[in-house]
Amino acid sequence: MLSLQGISKGFPGVKALTDVSLDVAAGEIHALVGENGAGKSTLTRVIAGVFQPDAGTVRFDGRETVWKGPGDAKRHGVHVIYQEFVLFPHLSVAENIFVGHERRNRLGLIDHGRTRRDAKELLARFGIDIDPEALVRDLSVADQQMVEIAKALVHDVKLLILDEPTAVISGREVDVLFDRLRRLKQQGVAIVYISHRLEEIFALCDRVSVLKDGNHVATRTIDEVTRDQLIALMVGRNLAELFPVRRSAKAPGPVVVAARNVEVSGRVRGASIELRAGEITGLAGMVGAGRSELALAMFGAIPMRSGSLVVDGREVSGLSPRRAIDLGIGLVTEDRKGQGLAMLLDVAANVSASTLNEFGRGWRFDRAREKRVAEQEIASYRIACRGPSTPVSVMSGGNQQKVLVARWARTSTRLLILDEPTRGVDVGAKTEIYRIMHELADRGVAVLMISSELPEIVGMSERVVVMREGVVTGELSKSEISEEAVVELATRRLAG
Amino acid sequence: MTGTSPIGMAVPAPRPGSADRIRAFASRYAILLFLAAVVVAGGLAAPGFLSGSNLTNMLMQFVPLGIVVIGQTFVILVRGLDLSVASVMATAAVAATAFGGVNADAPAVFATAIGIGAAVGLVNGLLVTKRNVSPFLATLATMIVLQGIRFAWTQGAPSGNVPPIFRTIGAGTFNGIPYNVLFLLVVAAAGAAALHLSGFGRRLYITGGNPLTAHLVGIRAARVTLAAYVVSGVLAAIAGLVLAGFVGVVDNFVGRGFELDSIVAAVVGGVALSGGKGTIAGALTGAAILVAISNLVVMLGLPVQAQIILKGIVIIVAASFYVARRR
Repeated sequence: MLSLQGISKGFPGVKALTDVSLDVAAGEIHALVGENGAGKSTLTRVIAGVFQPDAGTVRFDGRETVWKGPGDAKRHGVHVIYQEFVLFPHLSVAENIFVGHERRNRLGLIDHGRTRRDAKELLARFGIDIDPEALVRDLSVADQQMVEIAKALVHDVKLLILDEPTAVISGREVDVLFDRLRRLKQQGVAIVYISHRLEEIFALCDRVSVLKDGNHVATRTIDEVTRDQLIALMVGRNLAELFPVRRSAKAPGPVVVAARNVEVSGRVRGASIELRAGEITGLAGMVGAGRSELALAMFGAIPMRSGSLVVDGREVSGLSPRRAIDLGIGLVTEDRKGQGLAMLLDVAANVSASTLNEFGRGWRFDRAREKRVAEQEIASYRIACRGPSTPVSVMSGGNQQKVLVARWARTSTRLLILDEPTRGVDVGAKTEIYRIMHELADRGVAVLMISSELPEIVGMSERVVVMREGVVTGELSKSEISEEAVVELATRRLAG
Repeated sequence: MTGTSPIGMAVPAPRPGSADRIRAFASRYAILLFLAAVVVAGGLAAPGFLSGSNLTNMLMQFVPLGIVVIGQTFVILVRGLDLSVASVMATAAVAATAFGGVNADAPAVFATAIGIGAAVGLVNGLLVTKRNVSPFLATLATMIVLQGIRFAWTQGAPSGNVPPIFRTIGAGTFNGIPYNVLFLLVVAAAGAAALHLSGFGRRLYITGGNPLTAHLVGIRAARVTLAAYVVSGVLAAIAGLVLAGFVGVVDNFVGRGFELDSIVAAVVGGVALSGGKGTIAGALTGAAILVAISNLVVMLGLPVQAQIILKGIVIIVAASFYVARRR
C-alpha cells in the first residue's frame, strides 16, 4: 500500500530523517517505534503530506506520489489520528463525523436527517457502538477517539496512522480499540501504529519498524523479535562524548528533600522519591508518565491531592512556590518560553525574579545591585548577550535556558529540579548546563534532572528513578544504569 | 539582535548603521513624534491652537484624563481593564458635594472619595482574582451597581457645593501654571516610581507578562493584580475630585466617557492589552494626543462628530503600528 524509498528530511540545524525506506502492506498493522526524537513524528508527517521530503520517493497504492499537502493525502486515503483530537465538543457525533463534508439538501442547507442516517450506517459498518446523536463532550475519551477514527472512515481510507492512540485511554478501552483496529485490518486497511508501549505492539501488530536518530534501523515480523531485542534496537548506539565527567564525585550526603506518596489528580498516583545532597538523580520515563507533575507538586506550583514534602526530615506545611524558594528549592520548568522566562523583560529581571525581596522590600528596589548580580551570572555561566539589559526575547534558545538555570541555581541551596533542561538547546549550551549541574552537586545541592533523552539520563545521573503512568516503577543505582534497564522500567506493564 | 552559530556562541549583530539607528529611534519615540506632529499640524491649521490660553485649557482638560490613565495603565499591565473608572469619578464628585461645601470639609471629602475608589477597586480585584470573572464583566458590573447607588443617593439630581479648595486645585493657576497640572505631575511621578523603580512594579510586569511565570517564581499574582485595581479605583476617585473642582458643578455623569478614553489613551500610548508592556510616560502621551485632537477639532470649527471619527482613526493607526512593530 505504502512504500517509502530513501526518505530524508532536515530542518535548520537538525537532520530529522536519513534515508528511511519502509513498506506497509494493505491489511497489515505496522508498528513504528523509537525513542523520543527518533523521527517518528516527522516520518508520519511526510507520509501524511504535511512535510515534503528533501530526498526519496513515496509510493502509495502502486503509484509514485508527491502530496501537495495534507488535504491531498487525505483525498487519496491517508489519514492520521493525532494525540490531540480535532473535535467540536458541542456538536453531535454525526455532525463531527461529517465536518467539512456536510450532508446537504437541495437548498444547500444541512440535511440533519441524512447526516444522522449516514453516520449511523457508517458506525454500524465498522462495528462502532456509539449513538450518532450524542454530543461529543458527553463521550468518554475512548469513544471520542473512535469518532476521530470514524471521521477518517467517511472517506475511502486506505492507510490509517495512529500516533500514540493509547496515551489517552486505558484498560478495557484499549481492548475495544484493538478490536476495532483488527476489524479495519480485515477490511484491507493498512495501519501504522505508533506507540511506546511494547506490550501493545506484541499484542496487536504484524510487523514492527524501529527508528533511531532519524535512521531506519530494522523491520521485523513480530514473531521473530523479542521484547529485549526490540529495546536493544531502539537504544543501541555509541554514546556521544557529550557528558562531562564529574571529577569530584563523592559519596552522596543525607536525604535533604523527599516526596512521600504524592498524588496529583489524574497524573501522579502515589509517587515517592528521595533526593540526597550532592547527588544528581535522573527522573526518567515516557512523556506523560507524570514526572513534570511530580516536580511541580514538589515545588508547590500545583496542589498535591495527598502526600507530603519532607525537607531535612521535617514535613513542609503550606507548600507554595514562595515557600519552596525560601526552603532553597528551585525548579527549571520544561517550557522556558511559556512558563519559565518573563519573555518581555531583560536578563537582569529574569535572573532576579525569584528573589525580588533580596533587592529591597516595599518601595525601594535596588536596580544597581540587580545589575551587578546579573553581570556576575552572565560571566560565570558564559551567557552570550550584550549585558544585563538585553531582552531575553532576542537571545538564542541555549542562552535563554542558561538565564533560566542561572536564576534557579542562585537560589537553590537544597534542591534544584531541572525539567528537560537541554531540550531545544545547542550542543554548547548543553555542555554548559551539565557543567552547572555538576557545580551545584559539588556544592552539596541535590539535583533532580527530568529527561526524556536516554543518553542524557545515562550520561548524567548517579541514580535513576523511573516513572510510568504516575507511579515510580523502579530505581537504578549507579552501576545498574543502562538505557536498556531504563526502557525496561519505563515500559513495564503495571500490575492491575 | 544576536544570531547563533552552530556551536552556540552568540554572534554579535552587525553594528547598526545610521539609517537603522534613526529607524530604531523613530520606533522607540514614535508616540512622542506623533504627538509633536499633531501639535505642529494643529498650530499650522488653527492659529489659536498654540496660544497660551488654549494650551492652558488643553492642559487642564488633560489632567483628569491623565490621572485616570495612570490607574488604567496599572490594570492593563496585569491583563485587565477597568470600565468602572468613570462611575467612580462621578461618585467621588458627588461625594465632594455631600458635605457642607466649605474648606473644613475637604479632608472628609477626600477620605470619602478615596474610600469609595479603593472599595470599588477592591471589589473589582476580588472578582477578577478570586472569582475569575473577566475584567470586562467585573468592572462593567461594579460600574452599573455604583451608578445605581449614586442615583439613589442623589435622588437623581446632586445638589450642594464643592469645597472652594477643590475649585482652586481644579481650576486655579499658580504663576500661570495650573495647580492641577502640578498635581498630575506628582501623581505621575509617584505612579512611575511605583511601576518602574519599586519591587511592586517589577512584580506587576512579571505577572502581566505571564501569570504562570509569576506563580512559578513565587510572586503572589492575585495580590499584585488586586493592588492594580485598587490603584485604578483610587486614582479615578482623585480624578473625579479634580474634575469636579475644574467644572465647578457636579452632576451624576462627571467623567462620562473616561472609561473608554482612558483605555484608548493607554493603548495609543503603547500599553499592550495583552499585559506586561507599557509605561506611564507612554500612556500619558497617548492621553495628550487624544486631548490635542479633540481640542483641534473644536478650534477648526469642525462638527463634534469629527472628534469621534478622528478618535477612532487614531486607535486604528496606533493599533496597526504596534502590531507591525512587534514583527
